[in-house]
Amino acid sequence: MPGWSVIRAWVLWVVVLLAVTVVMHSAREDMEQAHVVLVYLLVVLGGSVSGGRSLGLAIACAGFILIDYYFQPPYDTLSVGKPLDWLVLLAFLATAAVTTQLLTLARTEAAEAKRRAQEIGSLARLGSEALNAGPAEEALAKIAQVIRTTLGVEECEIHRWDGSQVVPGTSHRSSGDGAEPSIVDVSNAVTLTAQSAGPEDQPGAPTPGEVDPRKLDLVRVTHDGASSVLVPLTVHSRTVGVLRLTDSAPISVDAEKRRFLAALAYYAALGVERVALVAEAEHAEALREADRLRDVLIASLSHDLRTPLTAIKAAAQQQKGHSEGAEIIVQQADVLSRLVGDLLDWSRIKAGAFPLSLELNTADDLLGAVTRQFSDRATLKIDIDWNQPALVGRFDFLQALRILTNLVENALRYSPLECAVELGVRRERDALLFTVSDRGPGVALAERERIFEPFYRPVAAIPDAARAGLGLSIARQLAEIQGGALTFSVRPDGGSVFTLRLPAADVSATLGEASL
Amino acid sequence: MSHVIQPVGPSPLKARLLLIVEDEPQISRAVRNALNDGADRIIEAANGRSGIDQAAAEQPDLVVLDLGLPDLPGIEVCREIRRWAEMPIVVLSARHSEHEKVQLLNAGADDYVTKPFSTLEFAARIQAHLRRSLSHRGETSPILEATGGLTLDFARRSVSRRGIPVRLTPTEWEILQALARQSNRTLTHQQIFDRVWGKNAGNPQQYLRVHITNLRRKIEEDPARPQFVVTDPGVGYRFELPE
Repeated sequence: MPGWSVIRAWVLWVVVLLAVTVVMHSAREDMEQAHVVLVYLLVVLGGSVSGGRSLGLAIACAGFILIDYYFQPPYDTLSVGKPLDWLVLLAFLATAAVTTQLLTLARTEAAEAKRRAQEIGSLARLGSEALNAGPAEEALAKIAQVIRTTLGVEECEIHRWDGSQVVPGTSHRSSGDGAEPSIVDVSNAVTLTAQSAGPEDQPGAPTPGEVDPRKLDLVRVTHDGASSVLVPLTVHSRTVGVLRLTDSAPISVDAEKRRFLAALAYYAALGVERVALVAEAEHAEALREADRLRDVLIASLSHDLRTPLTAIKAAAQQQKGHSEGAEIIVQQADVLSRLVGDLLDWSRIKAGAFPLSLELNTADDLLGAVTRQFSDRATLKIDIDWNQPALVGRFDFLQALRILTNLVENALRYSPLECAVELGVRRERDALLFTVSDRGPGVALAERERIFEPFYRPVAAIPDAARAGLGLSIARQLAEIQGGALTFSVRPDGGSVFTLRLPAADVSATLGEASL
Repeated sequence: MSHVIQPVGPSPLKARLLLIVEDEPQISRAVRNALNDGADRIIEAANGRSGIDQAAAEQPDLVVLDLGLPDLPGIEVCREIRRWAEMPIVVLSARHSEHEKVQLLNAGADDYVTKPFSTLEFAARIQAHLRRSLSHRGETSPILEATGGLTLDFARRSVSRRGIPVRLTPTEWEILQALARQSNRTLTHQQIFDRVWGKNAGNPQQYLRVHITNLRRKIEEDPARPQFVVTDPGVGYRFELPE
């Protein structure tokens, strides 16, 4: 650390050296050589203490020459008279050098110990700030503040890394608290550092492309006259953020500082992790709340719509027989109620909030429930092989029933009265295939996929105000969310076949039981 | 409370007391109009607490309970009444939710009617519940004769169709017995499971539907159009007997 104090020490001790020489020169006839050597040794010690090793050694060399020149006969020459005088000179030089060396070592060790103590103090403070501060953001801000003041830089920023990008975090500047985090700068800085940036110092050569903090160890950047150090923050070898130190003077990062920085970075990483966890918990809480609100909304909407419908229907039923319109009102109330249900379901499927209960169910049971819905329609023919064990699948019974009911309704609507609609089931590898076949007019080639789109009405559709055009769209989505599919195919000899594919399951036919 | 112990006579539906727990006046009126012919007296409660109080004080023969009450969840009212009373509870709900229906049946409700309902059908169901609850006061008969020549002998644990014995597995028999003992009433999957396997069994519940399917193939005339063991989709099964 060259500075004024060192220059001052040099000037001071050179002056002392000269003064001592002048004083001793005037009295050299009365002084013994040993006294002279001792005095010069004192000066060397003083110089070493206040000016360090180089000053000590310089004074030692100067003393060597001065002793030889002024204080050893023959005087005022550099030649040495007696061999014993050489011994004195060399002993002086060796003693001076060794003391200087020892003093310097002691000083360095003292400085190191002081620095360690400061580091420990800082880490302890950091730990207590991290633990004591209330909200996670506040703790992170405190950590940034402690790191900044400890390292004596102008600004310390801590930002979160969410796996793909840097999320603005906190910043602490020497100019005052509460400064806005300069995320733009960080992004720039991160962008400026090379992809493969290692621990080596980097000039601020702009390298395009995003930088992944996971690849950084510690990167130094200089740009726009400021010097920055970027340190990735990791918890359990997972990168959670980035720490950035900025100063107008170059920030030196030696091995010692790097070690300390790693310790600081660990605290910062914990702080960032805590912020992330808190944010995650809040997010989950918000999602739960949104779910709850949506359920409440849907429930109250359906309640609010159905209650007046019930009253309307009940009133109309009382008028039946008295008024021609009453029957129509009853029917239309049912239609309206169904439309409301379809719209609500469609929006719930869209929102991914449709509750499913996937359970073991049998094809028999499902087809039985379908036929029951059309009990007065003799035109429904069931095709099951009763000689085979019951076919079992894993699906949502209600929704499968709904899909098939919708398909059968459609088929009955379009099929000529004298032709039965056929309802069949078979197993094909890992799937149960339920088929609904009719002898209706079929579906035009251009419309074979479009009929599954919401609110789509085929050109040749029978006009029907009772449908919102959601039936097949809902049916297909209900099939898909159960891991199945709903497809259309042309029936040989005319008509349509709708195939509902649902996951099959294997269950031992006897279920491990003997008959009574 | 003479009306409760009145013997079942030629006009069994008279002298009946019904309680309607409903906060919407229009629905309340619709229910009252639908049931007027089948009951002597109808009392009303506009919220759950007074519903529970009235049920305790008046001991009605049947409770019609709306779920959208201002003070208490309907299911709580149902559970509370069921703790000390056995009269049929018929629930009215605006939600077409099988999950809710299952919960209510498990909580002790006897039936579940969704809005908008047909008043005729509603009245018929109420009458059926009334008739059943009053005629079932005694012991159930040891032999049950269903239509189509199906006979269940509870004492011998045997089933026959048109005189020919039907061989059932023990589980199939238990299921059939559980359903037939409470015929015309839907038992939830959970209720059947508890009756057949017991509350501490593992999880053979998922095979219930397979057992039912096998059972139907043995006792039904046309298993594709079951007449006895009927599926209440998403809720459970019931054994249907013509009343």
